[in-house]
Amino acid sequence: MLMCRELAGIASDYIDGELTTGRNLSVKMHLMMCRPCRSFIGNLRTSTELMRRHTASHVEAAVIDRINQRISEALGARPERKD
Amino acid sequence: MIQQTDLDERRLVEALKRGDSSAYAQAVSQFSPGMLAVARYYLDTGSAEDIVQDCWVTVIDAIQKFEGRSGLKTWLHRIVANRCKNRLRSTHREIPTDFSERLDPELASRFDASGRWATPPKLRFDASAEALLENEALSNCLDKHLAHLPETQRSALILYEAHQHRSDDVCNILDVSASNLRVMLHRARQKIFLMVETFQETGQC
Ligand SMILES: [Zn+2]
Repeated sequence: MLMCRELAGIASDYIDGELTTGRNLSVKMHLMMCRPCRSFIGNLRTSTELMRRHTASHVEAAVIDRINQRISEALGARPERKD
Repeated sequence: MIQQTDLDERRLVEALKRGDSSAYAQAVSQFSPGMLAVARYYLDTGSAEDIVQDCWVTVIDAIQKFEGRSGLKTWLHRIVANRCKNRLRSTHREIPTDFSERLDPELASRFDASGRWATPPKLRFDASAEALLENEALSNCLDKHLAHLPETQRSALILYEAHQHRSDDVCNILDVSASNLRVMLHRARQKIFLMVETFQETGQC
């Protein structure tokens, strides 16, 4: 029988659908009977979604500016292309 | 059926090939966050930014040969990864790895000897991720905790979660095995779970 500690260790794989069919089934069975683990999985899902949204575009504008600067210098220095 | 995003990407690539500066500006803001995440996985912050800048300059010529087999994002991330790996080879810097345990120590301490919860999770987070993020204090707290994650975990997280790379792409770019990637994701998610729980309970970060 899957214990709560073990479930917590594979919860992230469960969320991503990375478990084998057998493992997946034993997680589902455990969740039916165990309320704390249901809360855990639900909260871990929310945390994952939170990070997904939060980290999407996190770079300082100054860094982007410096990159754009380098590119326009490089584009400017380039010989004209004959199209 | 051709997806709209594929079409957008093809137009963008064509504009980059022409040397269109506004296309570069768009591409830089769209792809640099992921490229920096890759570089910071391997190098310190300053060197990481240098590498990404250098890569963009290389892209101006290299894009002429881009055939679109891998998607622009993956292509760019691979260029950065390869450069970083070459740099590492010359300085012999080791990538730190500690993948012995699937559970964060703080989370592991919440189970009793039989493997049951000794300190169970507090009730379900009562709001969706979207609603939670409207709380500015929580959002700042998330920033703080993300900044404290080991670079390796943060990069894996950003590439997998935010940039929605497939696992095998992330493994390839970061040079880790699939199981190591899984452990990094587990550990990072667990840390954020613990943070949100503390925040929900105490209002403290
Ligand atoms: Zn349980």
